[in-house]
Amino acid sequence: MSANNPMEQFAIKTLHPLSVSGYDVSFTNSALWMLIALGVVAVFMVVGTIKPQLVPGRWQAALEYVYDFVVGVVDENVGPKGKTYVPLIFSIFVFVLACNLLGLIPWVGSFTPTSHIAVTLALALIVFSIVVIVGLVKHGLHFFTFFWPKGMAWPLALFIMPIEVVSFLVRPFTLAIRLFANMTAGHVLLKVFGTFVVSLGSFGALPYVFGAVPLAVNVALSALELLIALIQAYVFALLASIYLNDAINLH
Amino acid sequence: MPQFEPANFLPQMVWLVVAFAILYFGIVKTTLPRLGRTIDARENQIMGDLDTAGNAKAEADRIQAEYEAGVASAQEQARARLADARSEAAKAIEAKLAETNAELNKKMDAAEASLEEARAKAVGEIEAVAAEAAAAIVEKLTGTRPDEAEASSAARAALA
Repeated sequence: MSANNPMEQFAIKTLHPLSVSGYDVSFTNSALWMLIALGVVAVFMVVGTIKPQLVPGRWQAALEYVYDFVVGVVDENVGPKGKTYVPLIFSIFVFVLACNLLGLIPWVGSFTPTSHIAVTLALALIVFSIVVIVGLVKHGLHFFTFFWPKGMAWPLALFIMPIEVVSFLVRPFTLAIRLFANMTAGHVLLKVFGTFVVSLGSFGALPYVFGAVPLAVNVALSALELLIALIQAYVFALLASIYLNDAINLH
Repeated sequence: MPQFEPANFLPQMVWLVVAFAILYFGIVKTTLPRLGRTIDARENQIMGDLDTAGNAKAEADRIQAEYEAGVASAQEQARARLADARSEAAKAIEAKLAETNAELNKKMDAAEASLEEARAKAVGEIEAVAAEAAAAIVEKLTGTRPDEAEASSAARAALA
């Protein structure tokens, strides 16, 4: 019955135990699928830029399409000063997208690293630290004026400031939980309807017939999950660039 | 839920950092700038091509304007020359006409003069004949031949 448990698909399996100075850093199926995503992205990018041409080929055109998309997101949210951070946002976007999409492949025992809050939190913390570092480097201690609501009467501002601080500090968690929850929910849903297909399809009197409905639902859900995989990668990159904008263009 | 198993956190976070570092420094940083440069180069090329095309169009427009001006001036010249030729020809015809008229008039005068002369001569001859005839008649009637001068003056008086 454990195979029917919708949470079973998120189980971390240690493939190669590893420990560095007492800390457990085992190579798990999650790490494996992160590396697979990395490999897919690497192939996509290396083949796309192996011989950059003024008139792009298919690979290069595909890569340029993604690149233009990210440049558009950064440009819209950060402006011209954000050009330096395009590679960062691009990395975040393609990595999250690759993890999300690869996790949707059936039968190959695929695992979605982005369905684990540990992964999304680590990614969100990377973004958060970069935002804080960029903010402090660019504006020094002036960066903390970010928490002071501009043009507001000071008693009210004094009241608002703690809220601003909390909302700033909570950003990595919301960023992480949004992605993790979306991925987890989608996969659970697919799995639940998958078990429905089996249990209803094996209904003795009329085999297969009743399995068709949850199967149809699952097909539709798969399409929806593909969309969500893309949208969540976009949202993650979008929010990362919005946070970066806060650090680069203070208010 | 395996997601909230504390033991699962560290290995995944470490591997994520490793994977993301490789992705960012190893892959994206080495390949994306090449793509960016290519896109910039393409944009520059397109801008340059557009510039060149714009310049070429301006040049073409200029040449066309020049050509049209040339055609217009040539037409103007041709028209002027045509008018000149026309007026010259008219003048020449007039001159020739005048010359011919003068010649004709001269010829007419000459003809008239000779006609007058011939008439005078004829009249003179008629006078002579008349005087002769009158003298012969008077001689026959009177038997004396009148003086020649008298006869001719009498004939002239009778003829006039």
